[in-house]
Amino acid sequence: MQANEFDGNAAFAGGGFMPSQATQTAPDRPSYSSKNSDARCLTPVTVKQLKDLSKVGESGISIDGVDVNNIVLVGVISKIDNAVSDCTFRVDDGTGWVECTKWIHEHVDSVEVDVISVGMYVRVYGQFKSIQSRRPITDFNEIAHHFLECIYVHLYNTKLRPRMTNATDGMTAQPQVANSNSGNHIMGFSHQTNSTNQIRGISSMVLQYLRRPACLASEMGVSSDIVARELNVSVDKVRKTLDFLASEGLVYTTTDDHYKFTDA
Amino acid sequence: MDTSSPAAFVNGGLLRMHVGRKVRTVIQVTRSDAGSVMGKSTDGCQLVVRGSPPAPLTSYVEVIGVAENESSIRAELWTNFGDSFDASNYDQLCQLANGELKHLFL
Repeated sequence: MQANEFDGNAAFAGGGFMPSQATQTAPDRPSYSSKNSDARCLTPVTVKQLKDLSKVGESGISIDGVDVNNIVLVGVISKIDNAVSDCTFRVDDGTGWVECTKWIHEHVDSVEVDVISVGMYVRVYGQFKSIQSRRPITDFNEIAHHFLECIYVHLYNTKLRPRMTNATDGMTAQPQVANSNSGNHIMGFSHQTNSTNQIRGISSMVLQYLRRPACLASEMGVSSDIVARELNVSVDKVRKTLDFLASEGLVYTTTDDHYKFTDA
Repeated sequence: MDTSSPAAFVNGGLLRMHVGRKVRTVIQVTRSDAGSVMGKSTDGCQLVVRGSPPAPLTSYVEVIGVAENESSIRAELWTNFGDSFDASNYDQLCQLANGELKHLFL
């Protein structure tokens, strides 16, 4: 989903400004401050979440610290007002109701609107100020699924994201909303993990150390003794870690016992 | 926007926590009469839902209404949820929505 992110780091790489991170194969970059990626994501929300936003006085720009402009709502239509150029309807998802406006520009739009009637469950996509499209729901497992998604995204944003610090994770910044029309419900959002995701603790420390400009610049690489000393870890552990990283292709040996970060 | 009448997601066991308040749940219909419907909640409890159900009723029906006591609801809104519905999924949702994630819903 995050295929075309603007990667600030890559743009400045080379010339010794920043450690080269070109080896990350996953297109996702852990630069969570990038506004581009977030603005393109679709977030499932409950009306209560939207209402809490307005209370705080924000213009609906972020929920749980994530930029949110495009949202998904699932609920029952409780009122429809059909005018010539637009259609206003009220969606109630059990946590509250919200007025949505659908602008009618062409015939296609008005056909869409005719299908919708009061009392019907719908899934609505749109921006917090205006609503783009909605379609009727036929598989009612979608309703439970939508709320579970809201919960998941909320937990992800509040618990997992703050924990991700340096470049060791390839998870997507925002889970993608999947269209489910069968009875099976998987809570599995597509996590793009590359091998670095598996690496924890010492491994990530070692990796980070080797990615320092000084280490990258050195042709010979860094010996495991030095790494162990700098990180205050036993040489044994460091060696094991380096072996593992080498087998993953993340580092390579230059001469005996000297390692370099794979800078391909 | 108005959240003055939010309905809590409940199953049979959670209904008692919301007696007198608006709730929503899905039941599997076991018997339906003119003024009430008996059904099994997503966690296996027997519930009675009073009101006028739509006809025809599908196997699963969502009811939104006021909880009268720990095993009965006075329904205001009925929605047929079809014949294939993942009850355990919904049940998990009820538990989550009443637990530490309550603030997302109520």
